[in-house]
Amino acid sequence: MKAYRSIFRLRLRMETQYRGAVLGGIVCQIFFGLILVALYRALYAGKPQAMPLSHITTYVWLQQAFFRMLLASDADLMDKIRTGGIAYDLCRPLHPYGFYYARIMAQKLMGSLLRAVPMLLFAFWLPTGWGLSLPASPAALLLSLAAWFLGLGCVCAMENITMAFTMRTLDPRGIQAMLNLLMMILSGNVLPLTLYPDRWQKVITFLPYAQMLDAPIRLYTGVSMPSQACQVLLLQAAWTALLIFLGCVLWQRNQRRLIIQGG
Amino acid sequence: MDTIRLYIRSMGILIKSQLQYPLSFLLQTLAQLIMEGGEMLAVILLVDRFDHLNQWSAGDLYFFFGLMSVTFYLSECFGRGITGNFPSMVRTGQLDTLLLRPRGILTQVMCSAVDPRRITCIAVGTVSLIIGSRMAHIRWSPARALLLAESIACGFWLILGLFLIEAVLCIHSVKSVEIANALTYGGRSACQYPIDAFPRPLRCLFTVIAPFALVMHIPASHILGKPLFSLPAWVAYVSPLSGILVFGIMAFAFSRAMRFYRSVGS
Repeated sequence: MKAYRSIFRLRLRMETQYRGAVLGGIVCQIFFGLILVALYRALYAGKPQAMPLSHITTYVWLQQAFFRMLLASDADLMDKIRTGGIAYDLCRPLHPYGFYYARIMAQKLMGSLLRAVPMLLFAFWLPTGWGLSLPASPAALLLSLAAWFLGLGCVCAMENITMAFTMRTLDPRGIQAMLNLLMMILSGNVLPLTLYPDRWQKVITFLPYAQMLDAPIRLYTGVSMPSQACQVLLLQAAWTALLIFLGCVLWQRNQRRLIIQGG
Repeated sequence: MDTIRLYIRSMGILIKSQLQYPLSFLLQTLAQLIMEGGEMLAVILLVDRFDHLNQWSAGDLYFFFGLMSVTFYLSECFGRGITGNFPSMVRTGQLDTLLLRPRGILTQVMCSAVDPRRITCIAVGTVSLIIGSRMAHIRWSPARALLLAESIACGFWLILGLFLIEAVLCIHSVKSVEIANALTYGGRSACQYPIDAFPRPLRCLFTVIAPFALVMHIPASHILGKPLFSLPAWVAYVSPLSGILVFGIMAFAFSRAMRFYRSVGS
């Protein structure tokens, strides 16, 4: 366990190195957030919905702020798979699944926090009807934080499954691109899940992709009441456990039929 | 003429080389389909929930979406050298080899890559255009068809021009400057909806600096028979030319920047 913890700490520190890139990312994401909020405002002006506009703008800002949590992947690992460098990692006296899980978790955690904190401050500063509103209640804030950590666990488990597939096909672009797109659509990044037709929402919120960011945001805005929190968190935990189990099995299998790309 | 023949020839070779890995190609093309399908799904779901956006009905919105999608991905497909590969050409020093050849740099960059996977995105856009024109009951006439073609062609150059901003910055800084993409990708996300949905600062940005509104929305609104800001018809035919102007300015800036190009030496 100590080894995994130090890998985690090392990656955390590495992720703080490229501050210029972080700043550029923040500006881009804020710009996208403003465009989306402007669009939803115009749509709401035409036909107000049962869900208040402030929920949607809050949803947009939280999604944009934690964009990096969904879509950061371990570029080193991808290179290692292609060049065969992964052989060195497999020689380590660690379980490769845990090794990469710790790495990706640190990357996603630090990468998203570095971007999210300034972005959320900016979004709070925006006038009402444009920016981020306060959480529904103090309890909602705490619960959504808990849900966010579970969501992080779930994203990382999903990422390791994607990587397991990449190890088979060697070309990351096909399968990885497809899984990432599914994630963008079904996690609420392209369109807030709360704006999907109500009947679809029942199915979509049950899928693993909704556990990553949608579940914490729902708790934050109070769409999921604190009394339902137990249910939400349990579902998240169940999906995380299942995905970790699935990922472990896939990695074990991969190790048995591994072909290292030499050179 | 010679340049065009050269371009077509390189496109042929590049496409052939990409088809050497058919499974990977197929998967990636499918991924593109899901991506653009997802974007279109978002528009469909928004229309389903909100019915309309200002004075624009569902059909109008599909038409705007299709126009942006076809134009944007035509440029990503045939201008891949500019939209995708240029920063890595600078970083790896590959650009040096182009300097030795007896052709313009921009021509060679354009000839260096193509992205046929985008064909599915273009297809989604086309379907959206057709659905939109049916639902909005557009009365097609040769003049309107010509205007649509003009809008797409000028949009192609506009988008390449905007991607050249990143290229110019990249020549100076070596690192790829992703912030420049806010204008291109942000422009795509915003301007797949008509410009009057946005507040004044964004409207100005997408009219004056990155004139998506002039190139796409004004002609499209004319085709739909609901001219934006009640502009006269001739404006719709003239305004798309601003896309070519943007490309011209950026191509000039590019050639100026190339004078300062210093190889990374690898």
